[in-house]
Amino acid sequence: MEHSNHLFRFNASMFKLPKSAKLRSFGVYLSGALYAIGFWSIVDAAIFSKTVNASDVHVTFVDWIPFICSSLGMLIVNSIEKSNLFVDSNNSFLSSGSGTNAWAARVILFCGFSLLAGGLAGSFMVLILKFLLKHYTFPTLGMGVSNIICNGCIMLSCVVLWLSQNIEDEYSYSLAL
Amino acid sequence: MNPLNKIIFLSAFLASGFLLILLSCALYDSYKTLWVILIFLLAPLPNIVASSIDASRDNFLTFNNNDGNAPSPVQEFCKSLTGFFIVSGISLPLTFYHSRLIELGAMVMSITGGLIVYVDIVVFIWFFSEDEDENDDFNF
Repeated sequence: MEHSNHLFRFNASMFKLPKSAKLRSFGVYLSGALYAIGFWSIVDAAIFSKTVNASDVHVTFVDWIPFICSSLGMLIVNSIEKSNLFVDSNNSFLSSGSGTNAWAARVILFCGFSLLAGGLAGSFMVLILKFLLKHYTFPTLGMGVSNIICNGCIMLSCVVLWLSQNIEDEYSYSLAL
Repeated sequence: MNPLNKIIFLSAFLASGFLLILLSCALYDSYKTLWVILIFLLAPLPNIVASSIDASRDNFLTFNNNDGNAPSPVQEFCKSLTGFFIVSGISLPLTFYHSRLIELGAMVMSITGGLIVYVDIVVFIWFFSEDEDENDDFNF
């Protein structure tokens, strides 16, 4: 049973997260804080471009597209019900008729992760195409860098939220036993 | 420490926090940092709303979901919203300072004042709930 389940010699139970309700809520707070850092970093870039920007490059709607993609991706990824994902379609005893549900959940989750990754990649693209290729120096370049910080922080916040929700699952499981 | 002393000290701290924020506006003659007060007053609100929702929800009939001790998604969303508000309150003056809309002193004073206001509200709620627990212990 043990040998047939695991593909690699290291099994995942070695890396189990500590079960604690306090750690879980700290993770949730941290994810909100990270999202706020991302949000304010791009707002800072926009205000900077409007006020003390000496160059002729300005933050336009193009710079906001990666942020919108990342936020949508985070919304999708974290609002999905995770118990749908791990339903085994072979196991007909537990999952009576929820096989299609699991399939849809996986597709939607894939869309969410694509949006997140697309946001991060898009921020790099904006930095390279809009700032690096035209050889701008640092006060102007900072607007592109803060775009990357924004999307990276939103992705990190998504990861932290996902991990802390997994802590919650194990916690409740241990109580149910 | 009796409750009256607590309330007096907390209100004094609250007043000093507001004083710092208002001074940061008035001394440097730009009233943009007043938003910090609004953000830090909003910050403890989601948790209060979430706990009141949880208290009003009937736990007896919802035995279908067997994760009884797990927090509801509403609660988690409110927690992350709280984190968002706290960091917003700190980073709004930082953003203003970065764009030269306010001065360094105004930034420092408004951040300190905002944090004092927030901590004060949290401590007040904590004392209040502690008192409720004591009442529960003694009066059933």
